[in-house]
Amino acid sequence: MIKILTACGAGVNSSHQIADALESEMKTRGYDVEATAVMVKDVTESLISDYDIFAPIVKPDLGFEIKIPTVDCGPILYRIPTMAQPVYDKMEEVIKSINK
Amino acid sequence: MGSIISLANSIFNPIIALGSAPVMLIVLTVIALIFRVKWTRALEGGIRLAIALTGISAIIGLLTTAFSAALTEFVKSTGIQLSITDVGWAPLATITWGSPYTLFFLLLLVLLNIILVLLKRTNTLDVDIFDVWHLAFVGLLCIFSGGNLLIATILVLIIGSMKIFNSDLMKPTFNDLLHNENNPMTTTHMNYMMNPIIMVLNKIFDVVFPWLDKFDFDAAKLNKKIGFWGSNFAIGIYLGVFIGLMAHQDPKAIFVLSFTAGTCLELFSQIGSWFIKAVEPLSQGISNVATKYLKGREFNIGLDWPFLAGRAEIWAAANVLAPIMLGEALILPGNHLLPLGGIIAMGVTPALLVVTRGKIIRMIVIGALELPIFLWAGTLAAPFVTHTAKVVGAFPAGVAQNQLISQTTMEGPIEKFLGYLVGHATSQGGSYILYALAALAGYILLFIWYAFQMKKRNKAYAEAATTTK
Repeated sequence: MIKILTACGAGVNSSHQIADALESEMKTRGYDVEATAVMVKDVTESLISDYDIFAPIVKPDLGFEIKIPTVDCGPILYRIPTMAQPVYDKMEEVIKSINK
Repeated sequence: MGSIISLANSIFNPIIALGSAPVMLIVLTVIALIFRVKWTRALEGGIRLAIALTGISAIIGLLTTAFSAALTEFVKSTGIQLSITDVGWAPLATITWGSPYTLFFLLLLVLLNIILVLLKRTNTLDVDIFDVWHLAFVGLLCIFSGGNLLIATILVLIIGSMKIFNSDLMKPTFNDLLHNENNPMTTTHMNYMMNPIIMVLNKIFDVVFPWLDKFDFDAAKLNKKIGFWGSNFAIGIYLGVFIGLMAHQDPKAIFVLSFTAGTCLELFSQIGSWFIKAVEPLSQGISNVATKYLKGREFNIGLDWPFLAGRAEIWAAANVLAPIMLGEALILPGNHLLPLGGIIAMGVTPALLVVTRGKIIRMIVIGALELPIFLWAGTLAAPFVTHTAKVVGAFPAGVAQNQLISQTTMEGPIEKFLGYLVGHATSQGGSYILYALAALAGYILLFIWYAFQMKKRNKAYAEAATTTK
């Protein structure tokens, strides 16, 4: 099981859209993933250390170094399949590299 | 004709009598089907909206029941009339989405967007269907204040066009703030309609306090230091303790107040995510239809505001403004809202970031200056919010009828005043017509001045880009 952390402003809209899209697309591609959505301001060093991949809407300045792979997932929100495709491909690549 | 009306009544009356949640289930499902969403997905959206409405009612009940006695004591012992409970954005969104008029305004705004795109008046394709509720709220408030549907619709379309123009005006600034030229992200979010007023204050700041910019600090470091102390549940705890102490409650009651507030603030955001999922199938359906017929053009995509949430200044300013707002609420004449659910000022800080381009001291000072507008607008809208909550069945039956709810930092405070004035002008005429016309003229002229300033800024961006190339 790959654990993904998504984050956006209120932790309710964009991050949930990203979480749902990642879970369903990665499931279609044959990977077992679980995505959790939070507010950007609630992302701490200890929280992020519980996850394998960070999938924010855009890369945030959190005041500390992010030690897990990060994939910017903003384009998923454009709702245009051709623009979301590269994000999913990148995510798949990262999941493969983790080899869990 | 009479027989058609009686047929319509015999079909619709029993449905309406079922109450708001089943009605919204049906309405949202049918509209999603019109946009060719698969029927199971459409139905899923409808059911999710119905349970979100039901859930939010339960939590408002929990919060207002726990706080109503303490707030009465608070008023008695301090003399401060803060009797309106701030429930934050999630209940207001649910209540607004519980009105069928919101779907009507949504359809018109989608059409408006498509027309403006076809006429090449904008390059922004707005896919943020969910946040239509901010503008629908203004239309509903206008109707509640006495406006008819036509007048409310015209007001909604005027503000809706300005929001779309604003998204084009802000696009180069977003690229600058995100350090990324190659993304189509922009937003038509209502909170950025405060930009013109912030820009006026920013110009004054340029003249009076330019030296304050020297004290700008690292926002990310501040946020890291604040940690969980700035989270929703922690704020609920502080307010529970504060109100409990001021109301002379015993320790046991203070604990109950604190933990109830903490629980409710956490649950409000949880339920917020339920209805994002509820309108998700409809959003995708509208986007599919729009992109199918608008092939071959490059678009900016209008999203919810949080693609800027990665900028630490938004949170640092919101954290600093929270206690400032509490202080202002206590002393501001005409304010009856006690900050609680909306105390983290997310409806306020993104616009500050865009206009000041991340100058944190300016964000805080200008934010503190404009917060009274939000508090007054929230107070003004409280009777409408409470009434609508009751109509759509999202207000708990056990809570006192005079208990009002609203939000402290809801997007579009100026537009609320416009809705109120235009509504009163329609029903009462007289001097209200003058006030409404003057307010609308001022609003539009200020926006035109702001657009001119933004075009100057955008020209500078374009020139900087060509010189570096």
